[in-house]
Amino acid sequence: MKRKTYKKQKDNVEFPILTDGSGLMQNPVPPDDQTPSWSERKSRSTGLAQLTYEYFERARLEDQDIRSRADYLEREVLGFPMWPHEVVRGFAITSFFIGIILLLSAVAPPHIAAPANPSQTPAVILPDWYLYWSFGLLKLEPLNPALSILGGDKIMLDRTFGVLANLVVVGFLAALPFVNKGKARRPVEEPFWAAFGVAGVVFAFTVSVLSVKNLVPLNSHLLFDLTFILPVLFGIVFYSLLKTMREGYMYELNRRYYRLRPPKPYRPPKPPK
Amino acid sequence: MTPDLKEHYDYSKWLSEKELTPLEKTYLTILIWADQRLRIVDYLESMENLYYKINMQMPRSHTEQYNLDNKFWYWYPLFALGTFSVIAYIVAAISGALLGFYYSPATAGDPSVAYNQITYIMTDLNFGFMLRSIHRWSAQVMVAAVFLHMLRVYFVGAYKEPRELNWIIGIILISLTLMFGYTGYLLPWDQLSFWAGQIGVEMALSIPILGEWVAQLMFGGFSLGQATLQRMYILHVFVLPFAVTTVIAIHIGIVWMQGIAEPH
Repeated sequence: MKRKTYKKQKDNVEFPILTDGSGLMQNPVPPDDQTPSWSERKSRSTGLAQLTYEYFERARLEDQDIRSRADYLEREVLGFPMWPHEVVRGFAITSFFIGIILLLSAVAPPHIAAPANPSQTPAVILPDWYLYWSFGLLKLEPLNPALSILGGDKIMLDRTFGVLANLVVVGFLAALPFVNKGKARRPVEEPFWAAFGVAGVVFAFTVSVLSVKNLVPLNSHLLFDLTFILPVLFGIVFYSLLKTMREGYMYELNRRYYRLRPPKPYRPPKPPK
Repeated sequence: MTPDLKEHYDYSKWLSEKELTPLEKTYLTILIWADQRLRIVDYLESMENLYYKINMQMPRSHTEQYNLDNKFWYWYPLFALGTFSVIAYIVAAISGALLGFYYSPATAGDPSVAYNQITYIMTDLNFGFMLRSIHRWSAQVMVAAVFLHMLRVYFVGAYKEPRELNWIIGIILISLTLMFGYTGYLLPWDQLSFWAGQIGVEMALSIPILGEWVAQLMFGGFSLGQATLQRMYILHVFVLPFAVTTVIAIHIGIVWMQGIAEPH
């Protein structure tokens, strides 16, 4: 899809940036005269509505300020054409995915167990595989602290502890963007958080194995310890690996960094008095 | 007061004067007929306005800034996982609707009606075995794709600054997906379903303060029975589909507005 090019503005005197959402004066599509601008709306309204319009006006100004200063918007093509590029790729991928589902369902169809019988508990009770981690978190009773203040009683029921463990895991995931802030995106840029993620994935696996511990030919105490040791171990290994990789990437990262902000000319440090 | 119709433009005359193919003529006739009643042109205009006026993109694009276009392709499979889960969801919805024609959530009888219906679907119904297999596998694939999608988002740091809200919506979605799986797991009412339900009731009861209330609401009591199966069925085929579809729409809408967080 070709559109008119944006030309970068050296100064905004001749073509002032409008803050009503219509953008630069030489926008491909001129604004509709009938639509009131944010400034007009602002001047007509009072109270909260006026504040809202004032904010919109400001937010638009910021957007357009960025656009007018950025040089990467100067280009002929705004995106790949929908047809045929995206449509063909989408169709191919969709067919492929549906094909996988059909193949799986043909190769391994599900079967049905004996009918429900409340009077007979089966030897193995399991949810579907994707709930193993949650099921495993219900079996953390050795971690439930027994406090001497309470006369050696546990702080809460074991099953309450397990349910709370689930809530803690999900709650921590939800809080993640507020815990780990910043602009870094690559795992090498933040070795700790990448290693933390790896440890989390490994813990999801080990705790899943813990949930089926009566099927695992291992001492249950050993299994319980491994559940917590293995994730930490993997975390440490990945942390050091990423740290090492980062040294190798340093050259490239620095180059990119200085491309954004050219280094200041070197000034010799002042001698101490 | 009835408006004088003679003032209106004579569209039939206009149509007959023009040289049109039958297809064009039919199209214009329908369009004029509908537009005179519904004023479609207004909506088209406003859509066009939207198209040109609302720039549904974040102002900065990383691919542009760092010229990463040529490196994006090998990440593509990981970035298709969200699409994959939507496709699996659609396949599950279609096969599930077809299964719903033959299933009935009743625990009466021995074995129960629900169990008998599943047996019927798997043995007597034409294509029933395949249908159930497709439904189950698309559900499994959806859950797997959603998990991997979450891992991808974590490891490329896509949950960060402008996208916190969508990350939280994603956590809600993955929980709803797991609930979808759980409620569906209980529907055949076989041994596994029953005892998985038993664990569910116990988990609900272990929630501090709210436990009994939650167990009543979700499972219809403290022991499993007709009420449980009925509730799981309604959750699975009525409540969750509406909820999940809505939340998916919001989730994808936000991705549309914010753009994809590109790898770099």
